Amino acid sequence: MRKVYITGIGLITSIGNDVPTVTQNLGALRHGFELYPPFQKPDIPVKVVGTIKDFATDSPDPEDWRYPPRYTIKREVLRGLAPNSLFAYCAMLQAINDARLAPEDVSNLDTGLYAASGGSPFLTHYHHARMLQVGVLRCSPLGIVASIAGTLNFNLVATFRIYGASCGFSSACASSSHALAFAYDEIATGRQKRMFVVGAEDCNTDSILPFAGMRALSLQTNPDLASRPFDLNRDGFVGTGGGAVLVVESGEEVERRGVRTYCEMAGWGQASDGYNVAISHPEGSGLRVAMTNALRQTGIEPEAVDYVNAHATSTPIGDTSEAKALKAVFQEATMRPAISSTKALTGHGLSLAGAMESAFCAIALKEGFIPGSANITRLDPACEGLNIIRSTLSQQPRVVLNNSSGFGGANVCIVLRQA
Amino acid sequence: MAQAIDDGPEARKPLNEAARPTAQEEDALLRESLKRCSASTFEAASQFRKTKNTEHLPAIILGIIERFVEPDLRAKLRDPDDDLRLIEDLGIDSLTMMEIVILVEEVLQMSINNEELRHLRTIGDVKQFIECKVRGLPLPKPTKFLPIEQIAVIMPIQPPFLFLSEASVNSHGANAKYKISGQEFFLQGHFKDNPVLPASIMLEAIGQLAVLFLLEGGICEPGKVVDPKTIFFTSCEGVRCHRICRPGDVLSISVKPKRMKMPLATFEGAIRVGQEKAAMAEEITLTFGLADAVVVEPAKVAVVNNEPVPLPTAISA
Repeated sequence: MRKVYITGIGLITSIGNDVPTVTQNLGALRHGFELYPPFQKPDIPVKVVGTIKDFATDSPDPEDWRYPPRYTIKREVLRGLAPNSLFAYCAMLQAINDARLAPEDVSNLDTGLYAASGGSPFLTHYHHARMLQVGVLRCSPLGIVASIAGTLNFNLVATFRIYGASCGFSSACASSSHALAFAYDEIATGRQKRMFVVGAEDCNTDSILPFAGMRALSLQTNPDLASRPFDLNRDGFVGTGGGAVLVVESGEEVERRGVRTYCEMAGWGQASDGYNVAISHPEGSGLRVAMTNALRQTGIEPEAVDYVNAHATSTPIGDTSEAKALKAVFQEATMRPAISSTKALTGHGLSLAGAMESAFCAIALKEGFIPGSANITRLDPACEGLNIIRSTLSQQPRVVLNNSSGFGGANVCIVLRQA
Repeated sequence: MAQAIDDGPEARKPLNEAARPTAQEEDALLRESLKRCSASTFEAASQFRKTKNTEHLPAIILGIIERFVEPDLRAKLRDPDDDLRLIEDLGIDSLTMMEIVILVEEVLQMSINNEELRHLRTIGDVKQFIECKVRGLPLPKPTKFLPIEQIAVIMPIQPPFLFLSEASVNSHGANAKYKISGQEFFLQGHFKDNPVLPASIMLEAIGQLAVLFLLEGGICEPGKVVDPKTIFFTSCEGVRCHRICRPGDVLSISVKPKRMKMPLATFEGAIRVGQEKAAMAEEITLTFGLADAVVVEPAKVAVVNNEPVPLPTAISA
């Protein structure tokens, strides 16, 4: 098996639109929440969103969108994008730059792209409504590729002239962790030398508010209190969107190009709950096995793990399940890993979460700190015995796990290691 | 039956008015549809809707096409040349073509089906097509593009004396290109150690393109075609050369028919190299005769094969 490294990151998130800003906000535990203007209506009980700043994508017409002037996007590209693929496009440019990839490194038979987003419910709704209103033949010819769940891979693979492996992953909130995991496999087995891993989501009413139907969203009106994973009074997650791109490369490529890395990706594991379409297993069984599998595959003992970036979204049931899974995995360990959920700062990015939080872990490994779990005033007693850190530690982690869980009880655990 | 439940014209009036947008609302909708086009495009469209005067069509169509062309290519539309090709010169792909059609349909309140679009290759094709549609005229023959192999099949003139290496022909005229390779046999002596394309050859190239036009699109008489063996040079008027042409130059040759009456066909012709005038002929006249259509069947088959690249009607997904 070949060694696999993370060499570049691009981020458009509620806590910053570039790696330096995100690094600062992660360390200082500064959140990205705001009262979201479209939600400030009496009939919408949800008020807070992890908003994406400096982007305006409210119009269904991409030519109306505003984005930072450092990104120039041709109309022929723009017309096929959804808000999530716009975020990803910008993050992609950052990641290419960050990894110092030349155009020939991006576009060749040994470089692929795996992506995950839920598509754009906003544009799907718009284009369907328009079809009913003005007729089939007056609909935008790009309506489908802009809206459906593969919009990220369609757009990025075509625009960046990707010739290697490409596909999309759909396991809801575990999607981009699956994308990263299978990208690892492509490189470890020698099928590809380099993979782009992309997670992105729209950040608007249509992408977030439907989760209110299953009572999964926080109804908090105070942006400082809305997202508080592991806190006794947590009442649901805060929605967010954005885009995250990781460049993952083989050891040979890292050596050939002579570039610095964020960290090594040591491996991964997965398992499923086989329990409920939307509710996590009460004992966290699938997630526990995913972590155990990840540690076994990488040959890492539980006590060697310094930090776990938990999936914990701030829902009452989900956080408790994960706490139980973490206890089961680490109960025998002589050293307990530090645990935090950075969703206390960003909100829950759905399909984006796995890639975004793996990027946070890679930053922590490179910069030598462990981000704390913000907003805990009363720790949920169900978490007692776990080392949930409430402030950032200026301590160099060596081995880091990132957990992600999606609908249907899909669980993925990514293992990163100091390079 | 309708009258049985009709309360009379008075009762209908408000309902109708509410359903139909007012002229002001129509104008506002039109302005919204054309919001990314130049102000003159909107003006032309607004005038066209009021007067139905087809003189406004070129401005509307060029304005709509310009809006979909990448900014760095828009300069090409400033000096509108009917031979400008949508795909090759303006970078318009089939999806952009659909966007253009949807906006044209909306603005001109007409519908265009996919089959009709297949043959539109140049700005001139589009302008002519829309004008015919709007005026209810029969649709024009599409521009044909002919590579050297097909030109050689059609023409009575053959290498090394053929000076057309690619050509396009439509009902308005024909265009062709020829690159002076330097290997032309006559350049060895014209002139000594100083190869220059003879002026007589420039006139010959214009004449050859006129022959191609005659054979490919000029004459419509049922059951008859122009017989290639009957075409000969008759006369020319007002021939001037403006530029010396040497090996490496690419000649852009064009002809337009001026008069067409059996057995004579008169054209005006020109050669440019890039933007520079190289040679002009105010008139060049050929004589020709007709033959039964069957005689040149092989040439026709060759042309039928030259289907333009079809618009994808489905996207691989």
